Amino acid sequence: MTLVRQVGMIAAKDLRIEVRGRHAFGTILPFAATLLVAFGLSIGPGRTLLQQTAPGLLWLAMLFASVLAFRRSYESEGEDGALEGLLLAPIDKAAVFLGKAAAVALQLVVLWVALLLLVAALFDVSLGGDAGVVVAACLLGTIGLAAVGSLFGVLTESPRAREAVVPLLVLPLAVPVLLSGVKATSLALAGLGSQASGWLGLLVAFDVVFLSAGTLVFEHLLED
Amino acid sequence: MAPSSPSNALLSATNDPPIPAENAAVSLSRVTRVFGVTPALVRVDLEVPRGEVLLVRGPNGAGKSTLLAVLATALSPTYGSGAVLGFPLDRGRDEIRRRTELIGHATRLYEDLSGRENLRFWARLTGADDARVDAALEIVGLGAAADDRVRGYSQGMRQRVAVARATLREPDLLLLDEPYAGLDDEAKEAVDGLVARTAARGATVVLATHDPTRGGAAGRTLYMDAGRIVPDPTGGVRR
Repeated sequence: MTLVRQVGMIAAKDLRIEVRGRHAFGTILPFAATLLVAFGLSIGPGRTLLQQTAPGLLWLAMLFASVLAFRRSYESEGEDGALEGLLLAPIDKAAVFLGKAAAVALQLVVLWVALLLLVAALFDVSLGGDAGVVVAACLLGTIGLAAVGSLFGVLTESPRAREAVVPLLVLPLAVPVLLSGVKATSLALAGLGSQASGWLGLLVAFDVVFLSAGTLVFEHLLED
Repeated sequence: MAPSSPSNALLSATNDPPIPAENAAVSLSRVTRVFGVTPALVRVDLEVPRGEVLLVRGPNGAGKSTLLAVLATALSPTYGSGAVLGFPLDRGRDEIRRRTELIGHATRLYEDLSGRENLRFWARLTGADDARVDAALEIVGLGAAADDRVRGYSQGMRQRVAVARATLREPDLLLLDEPYAGLDDEAKEAVDGLVARTAARGATVVLATHDPTRGGAAGRTLYMDAGRIVPDPTGGVRR
């Protein structure tokens, strides 16, 4: 069985579980929306300030919400010891990492759409100008976040781990994604999308590094 | 294809004659497994010939589950070495996993999938025949509940699905860790049927159970206590 097929089976299984449990829409989306509203209220009614801070608030809300998605992704594996089944299955363990990352990434894409619409409405931000750059930044950031989260999310199933291990590991490592994403989005919203190529390049590099690292080392995190 | 095995016979921990390495389904040499500072297996030497049904008995904490987890490659030995089905535990994990099935304490099911969806997923993932899923569910008496979510299953029903999963493939080594726990008589019969069918086609079975009424198909009984293999504490009065 090819790696691609194994990845597809893992991702399809995770998405099916997600659709059944409605965790993303029932928990993560309301959480992210609440964060955005709270950030907006804390900044105050100044329209210009809201528009200037919108990219940062958007990416912060996304980052915090994604941690919940990573946690949930492995929660289903730990409920009845299913992760041991994946460990003992005669498959490439990189498929587990890539499959879970793909499933989380698809959920985050849905979350992005909802949050972008919310930001546009709440902060009176126009997404029309360099929308392609915004979309590229969001997609590249999603891949990076999904890779980091799926790589370290497995540690939550370790008997010695605590729930806090994911945010403690993922949030600092995701700083380059946050920084690049905010910069690229800010430039795009200011109509300066052509200057965002460097930041998009950094996102690409981050994605390549963590997808490669996850593919190579995930098995060692999964094995005893 | 099994790797070339050493020609010398491996020593058995028991008084049985040594088994040629190529005929051993399990061959452990001074295997120790430690969790933190707590030893769960202590210098275990074990030989199980291919085709044998081995019953493992012992009190809670004796090391039975750890032994089966090591044989399934879910756990690595802290010290010692061994081979399963001719493949070394440290370098032959993939080959061992292709040929081994473990039914353990956890049923390894996804709560938000149905019993049928769980089995289909595992069948596809392990390369088993997808078409056997329905028959496997019928064998364990879960045909009517096959499309219900596992979240609503009782522990006995979950264990039945785990047994059904083991019937999807035809492993060369079947490892059962307390498979009768929480099962009614009908489901226990299904487990016995699985053991009998596996043994009948010449595969090896290692069965750990507390249930004194089960394990009749076993050709040999191994007793464990405090992580070690010990002599029969009953003096052979009962199995």
